[in-house]
Amino acid sequence: MLTNPTFLFIQALNSLALGMNLFIIASGLTLIFGVLRVVNFAHGAFFMLGAYVSFSAATWTGSFWIGLAAAVAVLAACGWAIERGLLRLLYEREPLTQLLFTFALVLILGDVAKIVWGTDQHTVSYPPGLDGAVDLGIAYFPAYSLLLCLLGPAVAAGLWLLVEHTRWGRVMRAATEDREMVAALGIDASRVSAGVFAAGAALAGAGGALAAPRVALTPGMDATVIVDCFIIVIIGGLGSLWGSFLGALLLGFVTVFGVVLLPEAELVLPYLMMVGLLLWRPWGLFGREEVERA
Amino acid sequence: MSRERQMKLTRRVVLVLLTSLAATGSGTAAETPATPIKIGVLYPTSGSGAVFGAPTMRGHDMAVEEVNARGGILGRRVVSFARDSKLKPAVAASAARELITREGVDVLMGGLSSAEGLAISEVARQEEVVYIATIPKTVQLTREKFHRHVFRTAANTDTEGLGIARILGNLDARTICQIQFDYAYGHDLAAGIAKALDTEAPGARIVTDLKVKLGTTDFSAQIAQLMASDCDAVASGLWGSAFVNFAQQGKPFGLFQKVKYVSGGEIGAHEIAGKMKGNYPDNVWGNSYELWYHDPVPEAVAFHRRLARLEGTEQTSSWPVLAYIGVETFAAAAGKAGSLEDDRLIAALEGLTVMTPVGPRTIDADTHEADTGQFWGPMVRSPDHDFRIMEPVTYIGP
Repeated sequence: MLTNPTFLFIQALNSLALGMNLFIIASGLTLIFGVLRVVNFAHGAFFMLGAYVSFSAATWTGSFWIGLAAAVAVLAACGWAIERGLLRLLYEREPLTQLLFTFALVLILGDVAKIVWGTDQHTVSYPPGLDGAVDLGIAYFPAYSLLLCLLGPAVAAGLWLLVEHTRWGRVMRAATEDREMVAALGIDASRVSAGVFAAGAALAGAGGALAAPRVALTPGMDATVIVDCFIIVIIGGLGSLWGSFLGALLLGFVTVFGVVLLPEAELVLPYLMMVGLLLWRPWGLFGREEVERA
Repeated sequence: MSRERQMKLTRRVVLVLLTSLAATGSGTAAETPATPIKIGVLYPTSGSGAVFGAPTMRGHDMAVEEVNARGGILGRRVVSFARDSKLKPAVAASAARELITREGVDVLMGGLSSAEGLAISEVARQEEVVYIATIPKTVQLTREKFHRHVFRTAANTDTEGLGIARILGNLDARTICQIQFDYAYGHDLAAGIAKALDTEAPGARIVTDLKVKLGTTDFSAQIAQLMASDCDAVASGLWGSAFVNFAQQGKPFGLFQKVKYVSGGEIGAHEIAGKMKGNYPDNVWGNSYELWYHDPVPEAVAFHRRLARLEGTEQTSSWPVLAYIGVETFAAAAGKAGSLEDDRLIAALEGLTVMTPVGPRTIDADTHEADTGQFWGPMVRSPDHDFRIMEPVTYIGP
């Protein structure tokens, strides 16, 4: 099989699809960390809620796309409410408190999901027209996975434009550097924080909704995703958008080709990659060396 | 806090305490004065295992309630001490030990995955407490790792492998791809299939053999491998959410149009088919311990009626029966032994026949295994439902 170029091509596309789906989720995590310096353990739970919300909305309306929109909207609202209502109170506390807070969210949201959607596993249908395979000339490949391959770079480009070329992005970057200065200039930095947390949660929700047709929706589905997301943002450098993009690509390729080439070690490969990279660059691929500010 | 408020609060706490004491007191006093019989029960009720652990627990509670309604075991009331095994062998093992040492349970039941089963069994061996494996299927449990305190009411991987091989033979499959989990259950099921293929499908050979780690959620790499292999059938044991993930990802590749998919792991159970509805793939032959639309013995009708009342739907789940059989087996054995004393209980379990909702089951005196089989068949669309059903249903026993 390994000498078959078609097979390798398909596996490369599989890696890309997996990586890009993970990137969409992880981009929210890196955004939240980059601006708010909050390590959000609840990101996997946001992903799970996104998948469940899209399931409910798609079941009611019969439209996958409405499901996706609902997941984005509901998670953005949840993110906003959580930041305004709770997280805001913890910025001045030591990081451990924030960590404990987001960990508590994992447990609470997990139970909420269990109460609302039960312990049964649910499935979401592929959107019409994307449930089959596309002829790529040399091979057939699932249309939906191809969509994921395209959506990842689109989300990355969109986020880059937002952060680098809009007023909101400028304020956000300024807040990352110096919150007090931003406030002194008369800009309401607290609204930026809420917006960032909401956007991060919405990205996790979108990632959940986009993953939904490819997975079983079940309690505990957040557990693997959060680990993958942390591997991605750590490899890429905490807070770096393009770092996460590259990290997600690497993780996609290592996961898929690990299965093909080294199935016995498949599970440890992503961790080995992470450890190797961190030994070489402790701050990640695109991260900056942290310097203690006086 | 003001003194008045504090007094009010104290009064309330005392009231709640007294009420709860009265409630438990009246229960024990009215039924049996003796100390209750304690069952330690371990199923995953959180995380991904909850999909099956939760309905299984319902079956357990239902059986215990029925046993108590009949007057308990040896005139003693039965109480359960349930622990969430989280689908993790280490958690299951420490919970099992805690149940024995702290709660002083008389018997252990449950475990969902084979890995959990082996872990609980090891504790049962060390602590010399009878363990009834109601779901774990690995043959190791009753062979290499056999000890006198372990019993199994679930089917084993050889019986399940026989079912898969027989269907492959009936389908006249020639070249077979295999995809199994990379832990005790997957390894032993693969061995069970290989053993049975010689007699059930003599012309068939396995051309691709894939192993996946438990917990895998992305199967695209393996699906591409299966698509690139030249096989006309896939034999598998991917169970629970793994099957759902695999199916959802395999469909757009056209996998289920290319091959016939024959799998154990209860993918024919209503818990899967009823929830996947129209998303359930074509060309699947699966198995189940029990089906709400299939009554092999008169006892099944009554069982389904009682379970339907509990679950609020006539389309009952299929996993409760496993725990139900476990409790009924223990009750019958204790009744026969006339005591919970170790040697007498073990002797009573050996060779015991119990009538269950899926037919009579006899525990072999030497292997400590019940002669449990499963229901097998193709998963077909039904004109009456929006989900697939198994039709026709065939029972394949050891």
